[in-house]
Parts: sequence; C-alpha cells; structure tokens
Amino acid sequence: MKIIVKVFGRYKDISGKETIQLDIIDGNTLQDVINAFVKQYPALQKDKNRIMVTKNKMFASFDTIVTQEDEITLSPPVVSGG
Amino acid sequence: MGKDRYRRQILVKEVGQKGQKTLASKHAILIGGGGLGSNSANLLVRMGIGHIDIIDYDTIDKTNLHRTSVFSEQDIGKNKALVLEKRLQSVNTDVQVKGINKKVTSKNIESLIHNADVIIDGTDNIPLRLLINEKAIKHKIPWVYAGVYETVGMVMAILPKKTACFHCITPTIPAPKTTEIPVLGSLPATIAAIQCNEVIKILLGKQPAGLLIYDVWNQCFDILDIKRNPCCPICGKK
Repeated sequence: MKIIVKVFGRYKDISGKETIQLDIIDGNTLQDVINAFVKQYPALQKDKNRIMVTKNKMFASFDTIVTQEDEITLSPPVVSGG
Repeated sequence: MGKDRYRRQILVKEVGQKGQKTLASKHAILIGGGGLGSNSANLLVRMGIGHIDIIDYDTIDKTNLHRTSVFSEQDIGKNKALVLEKRLQSVNTDVQVKGINKKVTSKNIESLIHNADVIIDGTDNIPLRLLINEKAIKHKIPWVYAGVYETVGMVMAILPKKTACFHCITPTIPAPKTTEIPVLGSLPATIAAIQCNEVIKILLGKQPAGLLIYDVWNQCFDILDIKRNPCCPICGKK
C-alpha cells in the first residue's frame, strides 16, 4: 500500500520534503509505516523506536492499523531536557 | 515604577492596558529553575506577571551556566530557586517573586500548585511532567510543557479538557535517559521565550497554538494540531 505522510522538524530537512510517499510492502500498522520511513531514510535509524506518530491528529501507538485514507504525521521524539 | 515600566508592552495590541492589568493579577507556578526555568522566570517577571513561585531543590553548577539566565559564577553551589527569587525581585519590585527550595513530589505537588492560574514546565524529566499533567488536569489548571534536546525544542500549552494533554502524547515517550542530555546553549532561551508567549496567551484568555517544534539549527518551525485522545486515561472524555 502506498501511504502519504507529513513530516515535521528535522525530518523535513533530512527528507527535503514536507510530505513523502512510503511503500508499505507487508502489514498495515504504524510500525510498518515507521519501518518504511527509516528504510527510506537510514539516517533516522536511531529514532526508530521513538518517532512521534499521529494518525488523524491524534498520537497513536505503533500497533495502530492505518489505511491510505488516514492522515499520518511523523515528528522527532518528544524531548525531555530542561 | 507603575505603568511606565510596561509602556512598550501595553502598545502591543494583543496586550493593551487591560491585558497588562490582567497579567498583574495572575499567579504563575514555575516548576524547575534551570535552563528553561531561569529563562522563563526572567521573562515573566519582566513582563509583569503579578506573582511567580519558582520551585527547585537543585543547586547551581558550573555546567548550568552556558544555558541558564540570571545565574553567575558566584552563585555556584546555591539553590536555584532562591537565587532566582533574589535576583528577579530586584528586577521588578511591582511583582512578587517567591523561591521555594523543595523537590516536587506526588505528596506535595497539590499543595504547591493549588493557587496557580498557570503552571510552567521548567523540569527535565518525563515522570515529573506526567505528575504535573495529572494534577493540573485534576485541578483544571492550565500548564505549558516545554522540552529541549540538542538543537530541538518543543512547547505545548495544555488547557484541561479542551486541548490534548501531555499524557495524550506519551504513547511514544522514550525511556528515561541515564546519560547527560546534550543542549545547545541558546536553545533553552529560545524555547523559554516561545513557552512564555503561550503562558501569556493562556493568562489573557487566548487560544494556544498546539504542539510547537522548533529546530534552531536548521531554523525549522512547525505547529502540530493535536486532538485530545478520547481514550486518554487522564483527560479522555468521560
């Protein structure tokens, strides 16, 4: 399934785009979306388990099912420093 | 000093005389007086928030000085909250600045925040932010999260039962770090300023902006519109 995601923060800088198309070969969860994203942009491998993902403007867990109609965003991890 | 102090701020149409008077009547609680907190305290005292409590049990270290405001080398070893109280009270005698040398815990947080019109996040760990979030939502007190890491900062104003809360965005919060967090020196000041703008908006009854992400190295600024999660155990629709 081909899925369009919107990216934020430095992910825009790394991808060079605000929206990107990802090919989800197997599966239909947000984890699969993240796997495809990291495969396309290997520099983000270290973020793999921490990427902030929203589905239809709500934060969602990685096992959430997605469809081509869903609005998906990917952003850098929530930061904790002060 | 009176109104003359804020003359230029009163000219800002978003504030005006009425807004400035409103700010003078408000009570802010700042939890954490480090990189973010010292910068936020500095700004909010100068902008004229009537009453600010600054809570921090930690002492000033040389490694804090590159990213904090107000502190100097002579303050090393002193309590952050008490130094901020002393320095900032002398900046603006029209407001009340109170430093509280305490560690915020589940046992004392409600007594510390009960008078707040807004809570300002100057902390440096997720568990404490989750505690603040839980109690702020329970007592219907708005609060403003802020965080920094390397060259990226985030800010999110949280209006209980209206906006997404901090727990709404925690499904992907990372495990606590055991190593020092890298932070560019200019980052906390930048993010604290953005945070203070959201604080002012809350106090003046304006709509906050959502989740703000600012990468100061690549100069990339984003605003994410995040909805409340109806299944959120803290703020979900009941």
